[in-house]
Amino acid sequence: MKKLVGVLMLILIVSTGVVFAGGQQEQKDDGKFVVGVSWDEKSIPLIQAWEDYMIVEAEANGPGNGLDFEFIINVADLDPTRQAANIEDLIQQDVDVILARAKDGAAIGSSIRAAHDAGIPFIVFDRKSLTEEQGDAYVGGDGYSQGRSTAEALASMLKDKGITGQCIEVMGDLKDNNAVLRSQAVNEVAKETGAFEIVTQVPTEWDPQKFLSGITNALQAYPEADCIYLASDFAWSAVQAALETHGRYKKVGEEGHIIMASCDLFPDALVAMEGGYLDISTTWDAYLHAKALVEVLIAIGTGADLDYGEDGYLVPGRLVLPETLGAMDNIWSRDYADWTNSK
Amino acid sequence: MNKVIAGKLDIKGFLFKYGFLVIMAGVVIFFSLSAPHFLSFTNFNSLIHAAAPLLVIAAGMAFIVFTGKLDISLGSIAYLSTCIGAVLMKNHGFPPSVSFVVVLLFGALLGAVNGFIVVFLKVNPLITTLGTLTAFRGIGLILTQSYEIRMPEIVRAFGTSRIGGVFMDVWLALFLLIVLNFIHRHTAFGKQVMALGNGEDVCRRLGIRVNLVMFTTFILAGFLSSIGGIMSMAQIGESTTFLGKGMEFTAVAAIVLGGISLFGGEGRILPGVLIGVLTLELIRNGLNHLGANPYLYEFVNGGIIFIAMSADALKARLRGQVILVADEDT
Repeated sequence: MKKLVGVLMLILIVSTGVVFAGGQQEQKDDGKFVVGVSWDEKSIPLIQAWEDYMIVEAEANGPGNGLDFEFIINVADLDPTRQAANIEDLIQQDVDVILARAKDGAAIGSSIRAAHDAGIPFIVFDRKSLTEEQGDAYVGGDGYSQGRSTAEALASMLKDKGITGQCIEVMGDLKDNNAVLRSQAVNEVAKETGAFEIVTQVPTEWDPQKFLSGITNALQAYPEADCIYLASDFAWSAVQAALETHGRYKKVGEEGHIIMASCDLFPDALVAMEGGYLDISTTWDAYLHAKALVEVLIAIGTGADLDYGEDGYLVPGRLVLPETLGAMDNIWSRDYADWTNSK
Repeated sequence: MNKVIAGKLDIKGFLFKYGFLVIMAGVVIFFSLSAPHFLSFTNFNSLIHAAAPLLVIAAGMAFIVFTGKLDISLGSIAYLSTCIGAVLMKNHGFPPSVSFVVVLLFGALLGAVNGFIVVFLKVNPLITTLGTLTAFRGIGLILTQSYEIRMPEIVRAFGTSRIGGVFMDVWLALFLLIVLNFIHRHTAFGKQVMALGNGEDVCRRLGIRVNLVMFTTFILAGFLSSIGGIMSMAQIGESTTFLGKGMEFTAVAAIVLGGISLFGGEGRILPGVLIGVLTLELIRNGLNHLGANPYLYEFVNGGIIFIAMSADALKARLRGQVILVADEDT
């Protein structure tokens, strides 16, 4: 009896293996080019925008290059361990390429290695791997040039006004490479131009509550501050509340206005710029990022050479000022909602 | 010899009883001397304003900890219950007053879910609330599609308006602390909560309805978390996915800093919770004022939590010795 059960178990295991292997092969035989996407989270609309733009771009440009894209998407809910398991799942599904936005740049290396061991190319998106394993391509916004663009515009504005700015730097999560690069850029511009001085740095870990308390405290400690540099303006509502607490939420030209310079231009910040409260921003271009991503996917899918600099495929942001905003195309924070509604 | 022991006991006893006050006083003195704008009414007003949501949530956590249990899902309850209110306001046109009543009811309901699983299904509270920590936040993400939901102006006004120069939510938080302290110190329920922390079996033998008391503390904590969530949402002016994230752990650190033992049955809402929460906020505020290295914040916070937890464990170990020596002395 035991032998019979053993034989039945063996048949079951073997047949299960055959079914799974057959399924995978069938998927490959379909001619699909399967992209496994591992998001670290989906708690900000930007990530959904990336995903939607990417799928549409792939559908538009894949067939012309002989690629029929299929996407398998999972989300790690901000947990690096979960993300590693999700990527392992994608490897087991034998996808053609893996694309990941790392929750933890230091932890993603082992997943890259596992994918490579399985012969699967790996694209690191938006946040760089902080390990020796760099993946086959890095695609993302250029955090440094974005921070620099905003900071140089700020310096120029202050020089025009003939003042040396006393700026509060509101930082992001210091484990996020882009946050570090944006901080590096603004501090370099401050030193190079002498147009402003960073009077204090406020760490936020990208938590809006810390934007609120940090800016409130900084304005209390440095009442002479006349400019604020935001590593990201996604928490604009909290920034507004902090400025209101000190009676300094004023439009450009009103007495007590603090010059506001930001990175990203998220939807609330866009409204603030249109209303006259935000002076300078540099975009984090979801549409252009997705476009670049699909170009790299096509290059991998067709075996073409990946042609970009050693730092990866970096997409610079665009400087936006209140007077230039209206004339600019593809500002995702303004156009994405209309775009999704029209799909 | 006895006098020497008594002398040692005085210092030890003083530190046992007032150690958390000494820490807070030390923090205030240090930053007052180091940062010129730190010691001012405006700064302390802003500081308590920032701490108001945590004060209320930590008070709820304290009631659970008094019973010797823990609820690490309170931040997620704050998030999910306020998500429901935000969606009602944005998608269904509910007025803020009605939405907030729903938020409070949902907070209590989510607390009841935790309480039911822990008390009646006898699942370990840490395991239970670890599960609901993730599940509640997940439901909130589904409800909001992970989008931030901006609040109407009247809600924003609640978050930033003042009465007598002090922020409105600070008054509310202080009022709630006074009421909760009264419940804790002067009602049968409060005394039963403390008794539970000192031994459930004894309580059962004394005829205390252990399950009902414990279940009620979970409901109360859920209800208070939703109030904290509303405060946080009103301060920022929108419902964000970050709301309440990690707040349960900060609340645990705060109550331990305030002299409430994680082993249950010891501590007070006032001044304990107030002092614990303010100590953490004073440190964050002071570091902002000093323009400290941004990498220092996490180290300092982690260090303080570690010291507070170690002190709590040490207190629990030495408590017997101190009581013994005190008995000898008398």
